Amino acid sequence: MADLNTQPHATAARALSPTDELLLVRELERFVAFELNLLDGREFEAWCDLFTADGIYWAPSRVEQDDPLGEVSLLYDDHEIRQMRFLRLRHPRVHAQVPFSRTSHMIGNLTIDEVNEDRGEIAFHCRFVMHDYRPEWAQREFAGRYDYRLVRDGSSLKIKLKKATVINCDAMHFPISIPL
Amino acid sequence: MTAGIDVRQFVKRDRVHRDIYEDPAIFELEMDRVFAHAWVYVGHESQVPNVGDFFCANIGTQPLVMARHTDNKVYVLHNRCGHRGVQVVNTQQGNAKLLRCMFHGWTFRANGEVAGVTQPEGYATDLKLDPVAYGMPKVARMESYLGFVFVSLSPTGPSFKEYFGGALSALDDLVAYAPDGEVELTGGVLRYAYPGNWKFQADNSCDMYHVVYSHESSRKGNTQYIRRPGDAGGIPFFDNSNKVVTFDASGLWAFDGGHGWEGAVTQSHGNNAPWYADYVALLEKKHGPERTREILTRKRHNSIFYPNLVIQDLNMHVRLIRPIRVDLTEVVIFPIKLKGAPDEMFLESVRMLNTTNSAASLTQADDVEAFARGHAGLRTKNGNPWVLIARGDGKEENDPVYENGLRTFGSSELLLRKQYASWLNWMTQEA
Repeated sequence: MADLNTQPHATAARALSPTDELLLVRELERFVAFELNLLDGREFEAWCDLFTADGIYWAPSRVEQDDPLGEVSLLYDDHEIRQMRFLRLRHPRVHAQVPFSRTSHMIGNLTIDEVNEDRGEIAFHCRFVMHDYRPEWAQREFAGRYDYRLVRDGSSLKIKLKKATVINCDAMHFPISIPL
Repeated sequence: MTAGIDVRQFVKRDRVHRDIYEDPAIFELEMDRVFAHAWVYVGHESQVPNVGDFFCANIGTQPLVMARHTDNKVYVLHNRCGHRGVQVVNTQQGNAKLLRCMFHGWTFRANGEVAGVTQPEGYATDLKLDPVAYGMPKVARMESYLGFVFVSLSPTGPSFKEYFGGALSALDDLVAYAPDGEVELTGGVLRYAYPGNWKFQADNSCDMYHVVYSHESSRKGNTQYIRRPGDAGGIPFFDNSNKVVTFDASGLWAFDGGHGWEGAVTQSHGNNAPWYADYVALLEKKHGPERTREILTRKRHNSIFYPNLVIQDLNMHVRLIRPIRVDLTEVVIFPIKLKGAPDEMFLESVRMLNTTNSAASLTQADDVEAFARGHAGLRTKNGNPWVLIARGDGKEENDPVYENGLRTFGSSELLLRKQYASWLNWMTQEA
């Protein structure tokens, strides 16, 4: 599953001129901010629409995990599972989310890994912090790394892969109801 | 009487007292009386396939390590140094020639014996550093059944076979699904936690009464979501007239000791999947068509080996219950791989297990919610201190197939009554 592993290519972005790199980083930051605002704003259906039809959202269960198929993951959502996940979150008797969690996702340290003009793909990573509070439960903090693989779709960007590696993904957790 | 608490008052035939979920003193007693005496599951031999492999486990709150020695046998050791008691193995799993204590550098073999004491001349010559007595202690009793490793920390008590009896058929039937006749736990680990007593998870392990209510949000149409690609639908929650499916017809089986299982809720093994014919052919090659049909007739959904092991037959996995505090429990999940079966079968099982049993699952989260609210609700001391486990009382009958087994309708609480009878039995034993 090397395709799903966006290995950092330290030199990849150097092909871009400083101005192009600056513009691209800004475009990606805006995209991620938009995406995370959808999650924090509970606009889950719109969040799903940011993925390509074969887009994957993956949260490994081990920091070094490189196989999302032969090994269990915290989340490994394709289109079908994403649909089920959010259909459930909209259900009036989703007991684990009554009352629902409030979240706050933030990112930083965005670094471009690869720009592939032929495939129209951009790979980059950043660090993130997500706070999660559900009334009556202690506020939690998740921290880790996002690896993105985006594809240009006309004038917009779509997510082919978003991998969220939480630094304590192998620890026991109380339920995680909103994507990391 | 045990340590000043008369636990008999807490267990009646059809109800148990809230204190057994909420009282820290009772939790400490359970760690000694139940977990340190009963046969408790620690792991599977496939987690330590090679000589030198080790895997950390716990019994109740006591740290253990399961390791494979140079004699190729698996040993379960108390994870403490023979010198000053420091925990020796500090990583979840790995491989080592010797297990080395970080404190003063003593080393141990995977069978627990001392391999080396540093600066031994400092000890008086009359202190004989016997490699076993000063080693990492072996657990009192250990039994590996089809690779599933159970231990008892007590040298006395019922034998492994006496304790589990007819419930062991659940492991026989599970392993029979594998064309090679063996299973492996090599697909990673999921962990979730809940703020509540370990018994909430044990109670719920074979509860077919809660399904349509607790998991209503994972309903899609009349069924739960599809568990296997190609299946026509998921587990039915509602019939065509939108009435709740009771699961009573699928049945419930219970044994002395608190073991038992829910009857199967579906017969699908992914029967519409492209690999299914290959899977059946592999079994038939080994067993012939008649025995293969028998093997593939699913008999169970969840099975519990009381107190801490649950095995699910549908999205095949092992679920290990680990009590941490009176009000904190960890549940550890391992997918089960059928050796010799088509790879796709395992991959689909893993894919669905992420959605059913990870901390971010679509179903387990609602069980955890019930356990957390159970803990919150049982802070009630006045009013009604009892937890009712009366459903189906007296409706059970002897099962003709399974040795000493009882059979009843699916949503009965018979198995809880068996679990609490077992609990009381352990809790009232002399230490």
